[in-house]
Amino acid sequence: MNCQLCQENLDAYLGGGLPAGMMTQVESHLKTCDSCKRLSEIQLLANRVIRVEKETEVDPFLVTRVLANIERLDAAGFGNAPLGAGILRPALITLSLAAAVLFGIMLGNLSRPAGNAGKIPLELALINDASLESVDILSLE
Amino acid sequence: MNENELIKLIIQGEREKFGIFVEKYQQMVFRTCIGFVHNKDDADDLTQEVFIQAYQSLPEFKMKSAFSTWLYRIAVNASLNKIRKSAGKSFIHRLESFFGSENQMTGQFPAFDTDDPENIIIKQEHSQWIQKALDSLPENQRTAIVLSKYDDLSQKEIAEIMNTTEGAVEALLQRAKKNLREKLSENVRGKNKK
Repeated sequence: MNCQLCQENLDAYLGGGLPAGMMTQVESHLKTCDSCKRLSEIQLLANRVIRVEKETEVDPFLVTRVLANIERLDAAGFGNAPLGAGILRPALITLSLAAAVLFGIMLGNLSRPAGNAGKIPLELALINDASLESVDILSLE
Repeated sequence: MNENELIKLIIQGEREKFGIFVEKYQQMVFRTCIGFVHNKDDADDLTQEVFIQAYQSLPEFKMKSAFSTWLYRIAVNASLNKIRKSAGKSFIHRLESFFGSENQMTGQFPAFDTDDPENIIIKQEHSQWIQKALDSLPENQRTAIVLSKYDDLSQKEIAEIMNTTEGAVEALLQRAKKNLREKLSENVRGKNKK
């Protein structure tokens, strides 16, 4: 048996899943080949590392933690709300924002002086009241 | 009451019934997650994230596959996302390690039984680069190997989770094992040179 064939069958060999004949061949190769022997040891260790990780127990409070988080999310408006709520909620928020803006504009307009709705001619707008000459001066002429 | 009936009740608002699913599948999801992240704390957080994500996506579950298959898919995707995010942070982590502000070994190893001398040796010498060899595999090979080695799933089950054919899974597993062998051999050669 060569190294390539031995290495290809290492996984099955270590898992005890090789036919008896092949098992003996791998075994005898491992006795004579240092590099394959070392690799088989490393592979055995890799299997142990995986086994140790697999046997690690999950957080015993996971169920409580998950349910608490779900409750918090539901309270915040996420989670399994009815399908319509997914559309209704943002629509309602948008509508109330628009209503608030409109109300603000209307409130602002209340403080503006009523009347004089018509346009003031440009020449009148440019007149500086403070520098107007007295009517008396005009009557003297 | 079967799982689909239970799901309908949860969607209708009986959220506390979701605890039954968490109880039943927590170890399964945790095993998958730890296979990707190799750290108990990260795997615990990830497991919690998976269940919350599953709860939020429950109305989208079509009930065409088993609930466990669907949950595996969420767990695999969440784990891969977590790894991608950590890969982005690894440069900073390396810098921190370089300047000695953080011990590189902290929290990297699984919880070995410290009373067992054999386990101490494994921890000290090998587990880090065995995990590195696993982590260096391409995403699809890594997914196949985690589902096969950590969850002991058949090629048919892996194919269903990965949405591919059994033949493709077999090829993925072959390539993953070959890559792992090569990476471990490199290390053996490196050790022998020393």
